[in-house]
Amino acid sequence: MKKLVIIPAYNECKSIRKAVADIKEHAPGFDYVVINDCSTDETLDICRKYGLNHVNLSVNLGIGGAVQTGYIYGCQYGYDVAVQFDGDGQHDAAYLEMMAEKLCETNSDMIIGSRFLKKEGFQSSGLRRIGIRYFSVLLKVLTGKRVTDPTSGMRMVNRDVMKIYAMNYPKDYPEPESVMAILRMGKKVTEVPVIMKERKEGTSSIGGFRSVYYMIKVTLAILMERLRT
Amino acid sequence: MTVKLQIVIGIAILFVFGILVNMIRKRGLELKYALSWMLVLCALLIFDCAPRLLIVVSDFLGIYAPVNMIFFLGFCFSLLIIFSLTVALSRMSNSVRTLDQMVALNEKRLQELEQELELKKETKKGNK
Repeated sequence: MKKLVIIPAYNECKSIRKAVADIKEHAPGFDYVVINDCSTDETLDICRKYGLNHVNLSVNLGIGGAVQTGYIYGCQYGYDVAVQFDGDGQHDAAYLEMMAEKLCETNSDMIIGSRFLKKEGFQSSGLRRIGIRYFSVLLKVLTGKRVTDPTSGMRMVNRDVMKIYAMNYPKDYPEPESVMAILRMGKKVTEVPVIMKERKEGTSSIGGFRSVYYMIKVTLAILMERLRT
Repeated sequence: MTVKLQIVIGIAILFVFGILVNMIRKRGLELKYALSWMLVLCALLIFDCAPRLLIVVSDFLGIYAPVNMIFFLGFCFSLLIIFSLTVALSRMSNSVRTLDQMVALNEKRLQELEQELELKKETKKGNK
């Protein structure tokens, strides 16, 4: 079984090598690909210098477009499993093998690494937790399925879902919306408990006025997704 | 509306029309997107030449002052053009995204093929 780790990178020159080393050490069964989303720092130079397997976008597409590039790559190179892995030190590669096993074992289409199943590790700030809870309830109401951490960036999918995402993937703040998209299609989503760290480098893309935009945009996106057939 | 104003407006319309045609000629403006503007100019020109028509139409629509009708129709038309631009922009951003991704993946494939080729050359040299 060919397994791929997609590492979207936008200005992550300080942490990208650490992320790749983490994968090589703790998830040796996985190949990886760094998607450089037109970074303005030395991310691309570092990828070239250290021979990291990378794909270089020439126009900044945002997280959604970058991750989608990874899914297209996964389809083209015949991978059976693809997992998204953030390069900023939040995720731990030690979980990847366990997630892959779970994917086969439970015959799921997607495995989400959830921070809230066992409530261990960095739990995000209070307000953010409320927001995540809200999306969780929204998904439950619209699909009847329980997803405790719909905003988690640590998600592993099989080839079916990879193909779906290669065709259509939201542009910004893609996580809850894309979960909704496959739930609507009757795909099976399973969660496993993971521990996430607080990010070491960079800042969250969500905060301040953006968070209001985020809540409204993602809510609408999820509702729109429900209307699609 | 005085005849003097009619002439001034007429000249202004023709002037703008000239600019529009020149832009299309120089390929600075896509004919597809210029068509809606040309339509507006034509409508304006017709009303400018026959102000009585304006009164007839506004009476028909139940609008008291013909000027209000101009404002109203102009506003509606502007919204229509802006909306069509938003649609065009959405399409464009989707195309740019797809193109960017394809270019990036092709570049990657090219690099891989180059490496493979070099490897083959080296093994050939080694065999000789």
